[in-house]
Amino acid sequence: MTARSPFPAAGLALAAGLLAASAAGQPRLHEIRVESPAMASGETMPRRYTPDGHNVSPPVTWSDLPEGTREIAVVCADFGAGSPPPWVHWIVYGIPATAGGLPEGLPILPETPLPAELAGAVQGLNGWRRPYYRGPAPPAGTPHLYHFTVYALDEALGLEPGLTRRKLLEAMEGHVIGRGDLVPIYERF
Amino acid sequence: MEEKGPQLISRRALLRRAGAAAAAGAAAGTGVPAAAETPAETAATTPAAPAPGASQAPAPAPPRAAWEQLTAEEADLLEAIADQLIPSDDLGPGAVAAGAVVYIDRALGGALSESRDAYRAGLAAFDRYCRASRGAPFRELPHVDQVSALIDVETGAATGARTGFAGSSAAFFNMVRGHVLQGTFGDPWYGGNRDYVGWDLIDYPGVRTAVWPRLQAQLEAGDLEPARRSAYDTEYFDKAVVSAARGETRHGD
Repeated sequence: MTARSPFPAAGLALAAGLLAASAAGQPRLHEIRVESPAMASGETMPRRYTPDGHNVSPPVTWSDLPEGTREIAVVCADFGAGSPPPWVHWIVYGIPATAGGLPEGLPILPETPLPAELAGAVQGLNGWRRPYYRGPAPPAGTPHLYHFTVYALDEALGLEPGLTRRKLLEAMEGHVIGRGDLVPIYERF
Repeated sequence: MEEKGPQLISRRALLRRAGAAAAAGAAAGTGVPAAAETPAETAATTPAAPAPGASQAPAPAPPRAAWEQLTAEEADLLEAIADQLIPSDDLGPGAVAAGAVVYIDRALGGALSESRDAYRAGLAAFDRYCRASRGAPFRELPHVDQVSALIDVETGAATGARTGFAGSSAAFFNMVRGHVLQGTFGDPWYGGNRDYVGWDLIDYPGVRTAVWPRLQAQLEAGDLEPARRSAYDTEYFDKAVVSAARGETRHGD
């Protein structure tokens, strides 16, 4: 898929955000390649992954993990929403390093287990305090960017389920050895 | 997203608040006797309350109600929603068996009449939303899609003219949720909590006008027989009426 955006303004915002992160002087991490068979950075997310459709979690894949990766975490957040930002849409962590991605439609029902290849993974709390994916529903007329960030950790942290993004980042501090982003767009009309 | 973090819609979360809802319903209710004053309709829709102390058989499937305010389509959809909010399961009968939608239907003709338009518009919007987003009416969706659609309504994610809800979908959800709680756990006099299934669900021991040490000890030991009667079956509340318009309670002669 191409990285061409149908929303020039959103593309500029994406570029500005990446520049800001670079200018903040954060240490450069090994860059993980994050992709999806269903969407691409700078392109519109399919409605299926939003409340305008079935609102199931999208498939996300990763490659080029750094050597020594023991565990993986994924956070989806909108840095253009929330008070304070970001508004968190999805958190999955404790993902085994052997996993190559997250399949579409991780469970929202507590009685439904995660797929076997994700054994040990758990979901954290999003901005609605829910332990599962909820997709974009921005105000009409305003495109938003949705950062699917993949973190590679140098240790299996054995974290309890239901952490917020802030708690997860605190717990991962000092253990992140790689990261990468997939940043699709969504707009309601 | 600017939405606040609303509550989970799991049955467990609902039940955490049920005690308060039941107490509020028992104490004040909505001021509308949901059992219709028309004897024929009453007999058809509201099983007679058992005598105090009578043993309880498992609640049978409730008879279909003769709706007074809701259309049949609206009532079917509302029952499907109520069944997701408080389902019948291994913990016992749920909102539909309790007659929660019957309670709402009757109340919409009385104390909740100001909500009638909100139900009409909200149920129509919810139907449009389910068809547009999930491709089928709510009642035909798989369980997981029903839960997902309700979550989106609850969180406000279904808000927006193109989604079906011109107003806040969260406001509609909260209204329905509150009324389903009232109809499940409120005093049976108002038409819900049929056969006391709501009170049984939360082990509410029933309305008592006095409690003495022996009853308290039985309650704490889990041996207290529930008082299966409406607050209005007692001498003190027999003729009580509620002046909803004035927001106060007064007692009749």
